[in-house]
Amino acid sequence: MKLYATLRCFAPEGTEIGESFPVEIDDGTVKQVLSKLGISEERAKIIMVNGVRVKDADAPLKEGDLLVVFPPVGGG
Amino acid sequence: MSKILRVNMNDMDYKWEEVPKKYSTYAGRAMTTAIVHDEVEATCDPLRENNKVVVSPGLLAGTPAPSSGRISFGGKSPLTGTIKEANAGGLSGTRLGNLGIRAIVIEGMPETKKDWYSLYVSKDDVELLKTNDYAGIGLYDLIGRVWKKYDTRPGIVGCGVAGQRKNKSAGIFGNNIENTDPGRYAGRGGLGAVLGSKRLVAIISDDKGADRPKPKDKDLFDEGRKKLAEALDEHPVTGKLEDDDGNPYGGLKNYGTNVLMNILNEAGGLPSRGFSSGRFNGASKISGEAVHELVDKTKKKFGDKAEGMYGHPCHPGCIMACSNVVPYEKTGKAHVSPLEYESAWSLGTNLVIDNLEHVAELNRLCNDLGLDTIEAGNTIAMFMESGQIDYGDGEAAIKLLKEAYKEDSVVGKLISSGAKIAGETFGVTRIPVVKGQSLPAYDPRPIRGIGVTYATSTMGADHTSGYTIAAEILGIKGDVSDPREMKKAELSRNFQATTAYIDSSGYCLFIAFAILDIDKGFEGMTQTVNGFLGDEVDVTKYGLKVLEMERDFNRNAGFTKEDDRLPEFFRTEPLPPHDVTFDVPDDELDAVYKDM
Repeated sequence: MKLYATLRCFAPEGTEIGESFPVEIDDGTVKQVLSKLGISEERAKIIMVNGVRVKDADAPLKEGDLLVVFPPVGGG
Repeated sequence: MSKILRVNMNDMDYKWEEVPKKYSTYAGRAMTTAIVHDEVEATCDPLRENNKVVVSPGLLAGTPAPSSGRISFGGKSPLTGTIKEANAGGLSGTRLGNLGIRAIVIEGMPETKKDWYSLYVSKDDVELLKTNDYAGIGLYDLIGRVWKKYDTRPGIVGCGVAGQRKNKSAGIFGNNIENTDPGRYAGRGGLGAVLGSKRLVAIISDDKGADRPKPKDKDLFDEGRKKLAEALDEHPVTGKLEDDDGNPYGGLKNYGTNVLMNILNEAGGLPSRGFSSGRFNGASKISGEAVHELVDKTKKKFGDKAEGMYGHPCHPGCIMACSNVVPYEKTGKAHVSPLEYESAWSLGTNLVIDNLEHVAELNRLCNDLGLDTIEAGNTIAMFMESGQIDYGDGEAAIKLLKEAYKEDSVVGKLISSGAKIAGETFGVTRIPVVKGQSLPAYDPRPIRGIGVTYATSTMGADHTSGYTIAAEILGIKGDVSDPREMKKAELSRNFQATTAYIDSSGYCLFIAFAILDIDKGFEGMTQTVNGFLGDEVDVTKYGLKVLEMERDFNRNAGFTKEDDRLPEFFRTEPLPPHDVTFDVPDDELDAVYKDM
């Protein structure tokens, strides 16, 4: 998993920017991972599984997937 | 009260004019576009005397409406040959707004090309000064000299050596609030060269003794600005620095626009190595998060002496404060301000440079020379694409860019002339430009809506003219559907029209993140504009009118729908990692402006 911007505080201490860390869960959905790390669904605005945007937190995960979560961000 | 200042550089004279009735609701982009459309021959040579530079503070500049101090510049672009509007923050929007100046029109050019001039505007005074000592020097030096001469903290806009030499990548610079950096750029389209062609180095605005502009319907205006300020503060993109537990909250205040670097990278839409990959391994090292970390680190080490900052406002009264000051790691002193996403991308990611200090240095050089960072980065990429220097070699890129200081350097002229001219000179066939202006930091192959904007914008490739990224990547305005299912033409057109309205209001375009999500924010925006004018203005109609004038100018300049296309390689070369091409059909591109 990778966490960015204001969600970085939920990653294990010492995780570099852009560095992934492993998360072990029993039942494989995005929601499970978020709840395990204590991230509210409201803050998990942008979710990508293997580089592809998924719309909701019930999206299934399988072993070895890369889950990337961003809070609401904007710029330009 | 509001007036137009017309400056004639042929005979070094000026006159004041009333704002004509047909322009009564116009300011910012609407005003620059209307004047350029109505007064400039569309087929004129952009660098000869028939072109004009129009400067117009946004409608609400100087008022207490939040984040409303932007300033627009317009003219015929020497880079694209189209009409051009570029806008920026800084001090000058507020200063001119307070002086009650709706527009400054610079026309003609001196017969003898010997001297350089500056325009000084204050409450009781307009002067055209001979300022040869402001020409041929770096812009950090120039803004320092101006504030030394005037102790009223004036706004300064103008052109650097790139503009003075009429190079096509020259932007119009502006000083920041603290006058520590000339980095508030209306960068795109080479308007700095148009100013240079008029022999005008700087416009200095001094609002001492002037009153803030007064809204016609104060109650409506005040109601509106409060609603908008609440929406901006609440929204997690534009909102406060920290939450109640002291954790980082607002994305823009903490990480600036460069919060986008990592997200575009993860999405596979971050152009790297001259638009040949959608990902860059070193992206996180030059991201907004990395700047945030560097600022915190240098603050800890150098305490009060540290000059690095995030949450830094780009103009007085901006409550989103997405600007930053990037410090040197070794000393904590300021290196450049700001380092924006587009610049970190063009001078970093696109060149495969992941050394933050090298990227900051390239940006500082652009600010000093008077160059648009997006165009400069894409131009350096052409030197790399053709093997003149290597991708990833930051030191070589810095050395190359420094050539632009030398008046007699051919390489220096080439590096300041834009990606199209450099690419064609080297025989490159992957030149990322539309209408001669190079693409910014989103690859149009995986993110097709922004590709539609690049292709159809009246300005050449420009992300700000219809920022569909907000919906396509960032999920602003409700849930995001699969981008491939969205009607790209409709999306782009709506964004382009709303943008034209915001660019005229004085508001920063980034209020869009909050007002598209929070209804009272949108209401607040329209109430402030209507309250200020004492008139009711329809957002979409107003925006479409601006676009209509711009399209009309471009048509008269010889542009047709065949110019609303992306370069061939975006249609033929798949972009990793998603391995997609730009497959929006031509008739869908043409649908954006089918009626104008």
